Amino acid sequence: MVCRLADNVRVRKESWGLLFYSPPRHKVCFVRSGDWLSPDSFAGEWTVTGLAEGIDVRTGTPAEAVERSLQKMTGQLIDSRMVVDELR
Amino acid sequence: MNYADWPLSAPVNITWEITHRCNLKCIHCLSGSSNESPGELNLTECKNIVDQLVALGVFEINFGGGEPLLQDYFLPLLRYIHEKGIVTCISTNGTVLNDEAVTYFTDNPLVNIQVSLDGASAEVNDRIRGRGTFYKILSGIECLAGKNITLSINTVVTSLNFHQLTELKEMASSYGARLRVSRFRPSGRARDSWDNLRLNSAQLQELSGWLSNDPSILTGDSFFSISQDGRSQLGLDMCGACKLTACIDPCGFVYPCAFMQEREFCGGNLREILFEDIWNESTSFLYFRQLEPESCRACPRFDKCRGGCPAVAYFVSRDLNSADPECLANWSREVGSKR
Repeated sequence: MVCRLADNVRVRKESWGLLFYSPPRHKVCFVRSGDWLSPDSFAGEWTVTGLAEGIDVRTGTPAEAVERSLQKMTGQLIDSRMVVDELR
Repeated sequence: MNYADWPLSAPVNITWEITHRCNLKCIHCLSGSSNESPGELNLTECKNIVDQLVALGVFEINFGGGEPLLQDYFLPLLRYIHEKGIVTCISTNGTVLNDEAVTYFTDNPLVNIQVSLDGASAEVNDRIRGRGTFYKILSGIECLAGKNITLSINTVVTSLNFHQLTELKEMASSYGARLRVSRFRPSGRARDSWDNLRLNSAQLQELSGWLSNDPSILTGDSFFSISQDGRSQLGLDMCGACKLTACIDPCGFVYPCAFMQEREFCGGNLREILFEDIWNESTSFLYFRQLEPESCRACPRFDKCRGGCPAVAYFVSRDLNSADPECLANWSREVGSKR
């Protein structure tokens, strides 16, 4: 599953993680990701596997250890329409 | 949501009253606007503030006033903000739109326009916004409608227009716009009309039910405390002042929100101090961030509204530790006692 931010959605780094904002709906979404993810993680198209591998490279945390929680996070972002998934 | 668990490094959005100048004199005006205030910010100062907000990652600026389009440098300031990619919402009375403004707003994805209309008839609207304004406002809306502009019509719900809400929604729809309703609150000139224009408990109950049944109605501010739970997923469940938002007045003073522009709540002036320092360190902002009205803590709905709108509570009782008098718990109690 390849994902991208929904149109016009912005992301900001916070001390506890990431703040997503959808201007058309004036909605916010809070993701408690600590320093594991940054706004750059969501630039362009991305996959859960790619996010997990990025965390692995940066922190040494095995990708398989974080992939399940990243899938859950991605599902919540899709449900809240901050992220869209594009089946390939 | 407990804000202490999710502190923000900067606001999500800013309300910016860009001038106190206004060609109307609405009886419910939250800022009591009519004439330009001495010492309003100039364009250079405004750009400096924008640069600060951009650096902090503020997502959106909501312009009000006064009538923003009467500020001489408003369009140049908007252009500057849009170059930085910040989304704007412009609240206008719709009576001073010109071709240059409409052209600039058209096809601009960073512009949202909100036109204030307080009745579905001249009889009702003009009692609030002034004689002859109803048709002038409709002319303004017609200038904006049918173009590629995100448009909403904003109505402050009062006892005068309460019975016209469905009509107002249909009017908005006929212009391709959505209806947004705002709470009537006793700040600015509205303090003088509060007793006459506020909704009674039965009307609050009816409004809450109407909103619950129609998720297409936009509600911008603190309806979470007066509405039933069915609507809670559509917005915040707490007052956003000093947590998600703040207000800048025309002279650069920063307040918790547009309805709390009392000197004692001022966080500082942007001519003297950085926005970031006001957000992080001002006594007023730190106080509001932890405010949980004492009189609400035992309420079973406390987790759902955290005390509601402190502005209404404060201006009615002069006590920030009292409950929002229009909250669901209060109107339910009043409705129940009258049965």
